[in-house]
Amino acid sequence: MIPAYLVASLLLGADPAEAKPTAAPADEAALLEGKLPDDPARAVLQAKCLICHSGDYVTRQRLTPAQWLKTVEKMRKFGAPLTDDEVKPLADYLGRHWTVDLPERRPAPVKAPAGALPARGR
Amino acid sequence: MTMDRRSFLKTSALGVAAAAYWLEVPTLARAAEGGALLPLSIRPPNYESIRATFTTRITPLERFYLRNHFDVPKVDAKAWRLSVGGLVEKPLSLSVADLEKLPQAKVEAVLQCAGNGRALMKPRVPGVQWRVGAVGSAEWSGPRLRDVLARARPRDAAAFLGYEGAERPTLPTTPAFIRGIPLEKGLHADTLVALRMNGKPLSAYHGSPARLVVPGWVADDWMKWLTDVQLLAKEPKGFFYETAYRFPVKPGAPGEPIPADQMAPMTRLNVKSIIGSLDDGQVLRAGVHPVVGVAFSGEAGIERVQLSFDGGATWEAAALEGPSTPYGFRVFRHAWKAGAPGRYTVLSRATDSNGATQPEAAVWNPSGYLYNAFDRVEVEVRS
Repeated sequence: MIPAYLVASLLLGADPAEAKPTAAPADEAALLEGKLPDDPARAVLQAKCLICHSGDYVTRQRLTPAQWLKTVEKMRKFGAPLTDDEVKPLADYLGRHWTVDLPERRPAPVKAPAGALPARGR
Repeated sequence: MTMDRRSFLKTSALGVAAAAYWLEVPTLARAAEGGALLPLSIRPPNYESIRATFTTRITPLERFYLRNHFDVPKVDAKAWRLSVGGLVEKPLSLSVADLEKLPQAKVEAVLQCAGNGRALMKPRVPGVQWRVGAVGSAEWSGPRLRDVLARARPRDAAAFLGYEGAERPTLPTTPAFIRGIPLEKGLHADTLVALRMNGKPLSAYHGSPARLVVPGWVADDWMKWLTDVQLLAKEPKGFFYETAYRFPVKPGAPGEPIPADQMAPMTRLNVKSIIGSLDDGQVLRAGVHPVVGVAFSGEAGIERVQLSFDGGATWEAAALEGPSTPYGFRVFRHAWKAGAPGRYTVLSRATDSNGATQPEAAVWNPSGYLYNAFDRVEVEVRS
């Protein structure tokens, strides 16, 4: 059985309603909401990057194309099951959208998750 | 200069106003009751404390930042064992009850992710985009690591500790989180195998049932869910020691690559201050306002905190709450007379007991470690 978190990871950003043509400035609001713009590389990201971490780990970065390529190569060394043909399109996709010029949106504050607090009755 | 709250009140020309603004501080803290952590990544859990957290000497557990490389492991405290091996006469396997039987010690110490402030580095660098809040100070308690090591009887050749915890990467090809410190730091009386944080048993996310506390040193040394300590002749192997968590020996040009042989493992934290009672974009009425925050350094006390309200042209000394401690937060307070309406850049800079002062610009490095430039908040004063 596939663990629930993997299912959740695979579904992240997979809403067909979000599938719009890529056009950087128009997509800024969606990018700031953490959406993954439609692109052949999006499926690669969803299937192979989100095995280990959630999409926000990616979408909060603001990097140059060179830094993105280095990051993808590092993740591949860590075991991300990317084929040779997937590395450059994925790095290009990341480098095209999550750029150093994309503004940041800080998340809204939340309460500490339950696991952060001592268990009751101990 | 050390001043407690009472002596500050007596000597301050702003005494009455100051007394009034102290009453405001709990209100500021209460403003964030809905939630005090910013989720930067849900999996693994990486949550930053909001700025308003940094007005107290001890950081409450519900406001304490969370940092994880991998998924939080499920550890059964009853079945958990800490093994001690390597260059020892008597390898050990210890239960929580065994650790509870050893003499218990307490230390107040700052835990700060080495990457705290990474998001402020220019040029930008990859990693969790922490701004100010990947730091907190707690009272940690448990046996001293040296009492644990003494039971194993280290051999003369032992010079280093290498250790790991129960966390495991999702993929077996991802390097395990293995870290290490010199044996000398491990034998320091303040280095603990902590079982409690702020008097409560460690929570799952903070490393239950036991984590290392390496006071004054970067958080990557404070292994959570500690399961194995090896005594070694040399530094440990592995990506997270040999490659990651390294800092330039000499500052280089921002954005330029740094050769691997010019990078060394980080140890002590550097001097830093955080303004807690103001936040970016805040609008204030003209008048007297509290500026409250915390300052800390690695293995050093805080001697001075200065504030600037004109972008660094002039500085005013803040009052420090005492006593100074070698590893904990020191709270600073200042009554700011916010006069003419307009936009203000509020800066803070701390100086530690070794004479080190927070710099205007941090040392840029490719992973954004140890950011400690002046803290900076932009506010607006209206009449």
